[in-house]
Amino acid sequence: MTEEPYRWLEAIENRREYIQEQLKPSSPVFAASVDEGVLLLGVGGGLSKVFEIFDRHAMVALGHPADIERMRQGLIDAAHLESFTRAAEDVSLRRLVSFGLSVQLKTSFEQIFTAPFLVETLLAEVGATREQDVLARVRFDGSFELENGGVMVACAHSERERVAKQWLAQKLASDHSLETARKCFLAAWVGIMDPRAVLVDGFEQALTSTEPCKLLEGKIVEVGLLRRSGPRSRAYQAWT
Amino acid sequence: MKTMETQMWGRPGPELAGDFMALLARAGLDTSAKGQAREGSMPVEIQATTVFAFHFSGGVLVVGDRRATAGNFIVSDTVDKVIELDQTSVLAIAGVPATAFEMARVLQHSFEYYRRSQLQPLSLAAKVRALARLLRENMPMALQGVGIVSPLFAGVETTPEGGVPRIFYYDPLGANFQSADYVAAGSGSPAIRSVFGFETQFGRRKPSEMTLEEAVGFALRLLLTASQFDSATGGVDPEKSGFATIKVLTPAGIRTIEPAEQTAMFRKVTA
Repeated sequence: MTEEPYRWLEAIENRREYIQEQLKPSSPVFAASVDEGVLLLGVGGGLSKVFEIFDRHAMVALGHPADIERMRQGLIDAAHLESFTRAAEDVSLRRLVSFGLSVQLKTSFEQIFTAPFLVETLLAEVGATREQDVLARVRFDGSFELENGGVMVACAHSERERVAKQWLAQKLASDHSLETARKCFLAAWVGIMDPRAVLVDGFEQALTSTEPCKLLEGKIVEVGLLRRSGPRSRAYQAWT
Repeated sequence: MKTMETQMWGRPGPELAGDFMALLARAGLDTSAKGQAREGSMPVEIQATTVFAFHFSGGVLVVGDRRATAGNFIVSDTVDKVIELDQTSVLAIAGVPATAFEMARVLQHSFEYYRRSQLQPLSLAAKVRALARLLRENMPMALQGVGIVSPLFAGVETTPEGGVPRIFYYDPLGANFQSADYVAAGSGSPAIRSVFGFETQFGRRKPSEMTLEEAVGFALRLLLTASQFDSATGGVDPEKSGFATIKVLTPAGIRTIEPAEQTAMFRKVTA
């Protein structure tokens, strides 16, 4: 198969479709730069989605738990080795993603005879100011985006992700409080997960609704915050 | 050094989960002193003294003077010999700083690596053994007369009743012992042990009954006393803005007694 270019392309395309299909039921995850630091949020049925990686770094991911775990361990190993051989200040999200994670994900994606990574990830690095925060959106094929500050969404549906990100960026453009970000994340989650909702209307409706959301019943909302202030090795704080 | 990519994903062979030393070995970064040979004449080593720890009514106080010496030469009077390893454990070092600081760095990474990768903190017993392992691995160097370290370790043990601060000390082979009252290491330790021995047996107020203020004042006076007998102990004089490194372990965690607090407590006790 691999010696025939057309068949290889076809296999890659099939692999992409397979991964997208597998990821479709996954619950979207969010990250945003707020006054207090970087907020990460995931909603799930019990297994963790939000994790501390290093002093100023954390991740939130959707996908297969085993693949999330492999990625988490890989990132933790790389960050700690870098910190031990150089210094904690030398561990940067840009390097972790572009020289480590992205390369490996792309290689894994194109090795068509091995099991693919079923995972979509958001990574965060907290800085001294909101403008110095770094957010990364890493896709299953190794492609990634890096942004300073702002908002990131990872969702298995690209159009929903785009609209949710746009809506969140607008909502959090002038209000950078932790509470606003948390409420908007949950509203965006409800809007994305409700198959009947027209996206932006769905977000607004969920944000202003006073009724408990049925979609969140039995789910666990997991939140992680990388604090901007305090000791650098204790920046991460988690709660559910 | 291997690339970050290889570091991230290459993990052959069985190993203990969350073992940072195994991760280092996998990445070709073995830090042990095994097989290291001493070549040429030995330079005069820098030494750090004096450290001690004791129980007071609110927990454990870990204290270090600030002096480092090489022979009769004072290298520095601003060395921090009491090092926070993580949120619940502290290492106090006497001996060769080059080895001791590296041990502290390895332990800091090991404890944090385990906590982050295994999603739970390392137990106090495992932390105590991790330091014992480093001391044992340093034995070839110590036998050659280089890099001898005499550390004290204090940590908070998690029990069903809550956190309990404990103190441990080691021999050069890594054997570890728990101390019920006090422990001291370094060249100033004989004077400090004598005072501790007296106060514990005959003192009107035993160190274990002291309040935090009393304990800090007592600790500073101990260091001043030790510095009168041992030229390698120094860098501490609260009246002249010279401060010890003092950390307090309570069931809630670790707190550093800052210079301003030390001065206030010292003056209150000596008034």
